[in-house]
Amino acid sequence: MVAQNTPAAAKKTPVTVTKAAAPAAVKNFKLSGSPAATITIEVYTDYECPSCRNLYLQTLPELITQYVAKGKVQLLHRDFPLPQHQYSKIATRYANAAGQLGQYDIVANQLFKTQAEWSQNGNVDGTVAKVVAPGDLQKIRDLVKNDTHLDDTVTTDVAMANKDGLNQTPTLVVVNKGKRQKIDGFVPFMILKSYIDQQLAKN
Amino acid sequence: MLKRGKFWLLLGRIALAVIFLAAGIAKLREPWLQFAVSINSFKIVPDAMLEPIARILPWFEVVVGVAVLSGIQLKWTSSLATVILGGFLALLIRSWAMGIEVDCGCFGSGEPLGPQVILRDSLMLVLSLAVTIGAFMTSRKKSLSSETSPQV
Repeated sequence: MVAQNTPAAAKKTPVTVTKAAAPAAVKNFKLSGSPAATITIEVYTDYECPSCRNLYLQTLPELITQYVAKGKVQLLHRDFPLPQHQYSKIATRYANAAGQLGQYDIVANQLFKTQAEWSQNGNVDGTVAKVVAPGDLQKIRDLVKNDTHLDDTVTTDVAMANKDGLNQTPTLVVVNKGKRQKIDGFVPFMILKSYIDQQLAKN
Repeated sequence: MLKRGKFWLLLGRIALAVIFLAAGIAKLREPWLQFAVSINSFKIVPDAMLEPIARILPWFEVVVGVAVLSGIQLKWTSSLATVILGGFLALLIRSWAMGIEVDCGCFGSGEPLGPQVILRDSLMLVLSLAVTIGAFMTSRKKSLSSETSPQV
């Protein structure tokens, strides 16, 4: 059993991704940060995994504020929906559909924050409806229902995960000078910070 | 009879040393952050202590492995190995009983805690205990024989 976030922790600042330095160059809505950053952190998550929720709500906001927004690190979200999670795939589709409308962070944040609810009742649509405008929600629904290419990025992410030898979520892959260093499990920000600082000092 | 005992003690000593060396080297081959994450999963170490422990413990395991392999002061080095293994096994059993999802991290990452891990670590503890008892018995026999040998 993985420790759940306290309500206080869940109320932390929502993850807002800053498209730093050169936003025009950032084409992938799952990628944030400056392309000039020497380190990229790829985060494999599953929307229904409790440890991923903890990572997303506790570690990533600090990472984004202290490193991504300052152009030191690029952050790439990667989907790795686990087969044992019943609603993970549909949640992923909703998040990626929202991403096409520029609302990826809002929806991903909402999905992780309310994970305990929709992972029980499967009401992903109702969960997303609480944070997007009705017009956008309809577009998201259409994409979820009809877009046959919506899972393309997921397919790419899963293929990359297999290359990385992924066996659990969450997993971080720290990419520095072409070297991919896989870190399995929930990483508290304090030790991640120390590790990133050491990697940055090497560059 | 004594020779056979010495043979088994040597074999046990080598096996114990290999376990510690393998555990230490496996952790050293990964970034320290990975072992820190494994330690964190046990939920008993404060965040500030994760990095120092993750950096030091693998080297400590290597040192214990080398010390046991050398056979110098075997009764003390194997006692230390037994204490480490015993403490770690107690930690594993506690986590398992509490239902905490733990990455054992024993021989590197990606080893979820389960009955097999507990059984394996129990066998390692038995081996370490056997080596320690053997080392104490050998040491006692040596001191007895030196006491009873004729003075010149």
